[in-house]
Amino acid sequence: MRAFLVACLAIIVIGGGSYYLLNTAQQPAGIAFTTDGTRIDPSWSWRVNASDKPCEPRRSWQWIFVDFGDPHGESKICSISQ
Amino acid sequence: MATACARIRLVITALALLILAAAAAPVAAQQPNAVNPTADAVKEQQLLQQMPRIQGLGTIPDTKSYVIEQPQGRQWRQYHEVWLPRIGTIAMLGMIALLLIFFLVRGMVRIQSGRSGINIVRFNVFERFVHWMTATCFILMALTGLNITFGKVALLPLIGPSAFSTWSLAAKYVHNFLSFPFTLGVILIFLMWITGNIPNRVDVEWLKRGGGMVGHDHPPAYRFNAGQKMIYWIVVIGGTAVAVTGYVLMFPFYGTTIAGMQLAQMVHGTVAVLFVAVMIAHVYIGTIGMQGAFEAMGEGTVDLNWAKEHHSLWVAEEQARTGPGERERQPAATPAE
Repeated sequence: MRAFLVACLAIIVIGGGSYYLLNTAQQPAGIAFTTDGTRIDPSWSWRVNASDKPCEPRRSWQWIFVDFGDPHGESKICSISQ
Repeated sequence: MATACARIRLVITALALLILAAAAAPVAAQQPNAVNPTADAVKEQQLLQQMPRIQGLGTIPDTKSYVIEQPQGRQWRQYHEVWLPRIGTIAMLGMIALLLIFFLVRGMVRIQSGRSGINIVRFNVFERFVHWMTATCFILMALTGLNITFGKVALLPLIGPSAFSTWSLAAKYVHNFLSFPFTLGVILIFLMWITGNIPNRVDVEWLKRGGGMVGHDHPPAYRFNAGQKMIYWIVVIGGTAVAVTGYVLMFPFYGTTIAGMQLAQMVHGTVAVLFVAVMIAHVYIGTIGMQGAFEAMGEGTVDLNWAKEHHSLWVAEEQARTGPGERERQPAATPAE
């Protein structure tokens, strides 16, 4: 049982560590494969057209928790993931 | 006479024109200007058969965006929408059905001579740690990977698009980032158990006798029998294959093209579903399939009688190396770890 728990801890440490390591080394695809001339504002999304207030740009992992509440003061449209 | 000759010339000319018109008709139908609504499609198909891809010109640095059509993409779509689900369903459900039949016919493989009450150390803490790290990652990656292939059909109708979208995004992160501890685990398994997993003559005898799974035979085996060696090499080779192809997909266009990544996904998907099918059998024999087997990875020790029945040569080696009783421990004196 102890070996299993230590293994779970190692998985969390290695998996979580690699997430942060890769995030420092890699760029989002929208930036990596475009130039300034062709790139749209990364914070832009279709939601800003439907919202009366600006939407805070979400990091990709934040969309996982998007169903659990909206940031204070934001329009509900900003949290629609579909 | 002259009139007859003129009539013959007229008939010959008419026949020649008729033959010419008959021969020219199909050619005219293939002309682009002919009124044929499918002519463009026919031309496109011919074009795709003759060229590896249809590519235009562009000014932005991303040359991949110049590709307009790539016929191989259609084969890839056919693979991941049709063939992969079929292969996966047959392999996994087939394995479960086989194991169910085997369990109903054979039942649990019990310790024939009963428990001795003496435990012998089978796997140390580090070995169990590596096993559980790899196994836990594998189970989570299998579930999240199967979601990619089967989720749209099996899960989406049950939980709805919003929940499925959230779950699939989280699953994708789990799948990607657990690959690192999984790969580390496969490397450690390879290094840790390589010496005990080189095939030898004892394995041939073990296989000839069906591993003792049928009847109450107990063919001799060293620390790992032929069945366990097969699992070992499937984990090492299959694990390496899914890891390499997975990283090709995780790091797109790092030395690969679209076609290369499509091929990587096909290898990744096929090896992965077969891997899952084999691991279902591994889990079965390590739990409900064999009495006393789970303890080896659960607590690190096995009953001496279990070890003598399934790994008699290993027990003899251990007793010769350390002396009888030295590696044996009474359960009462054995803590959980």
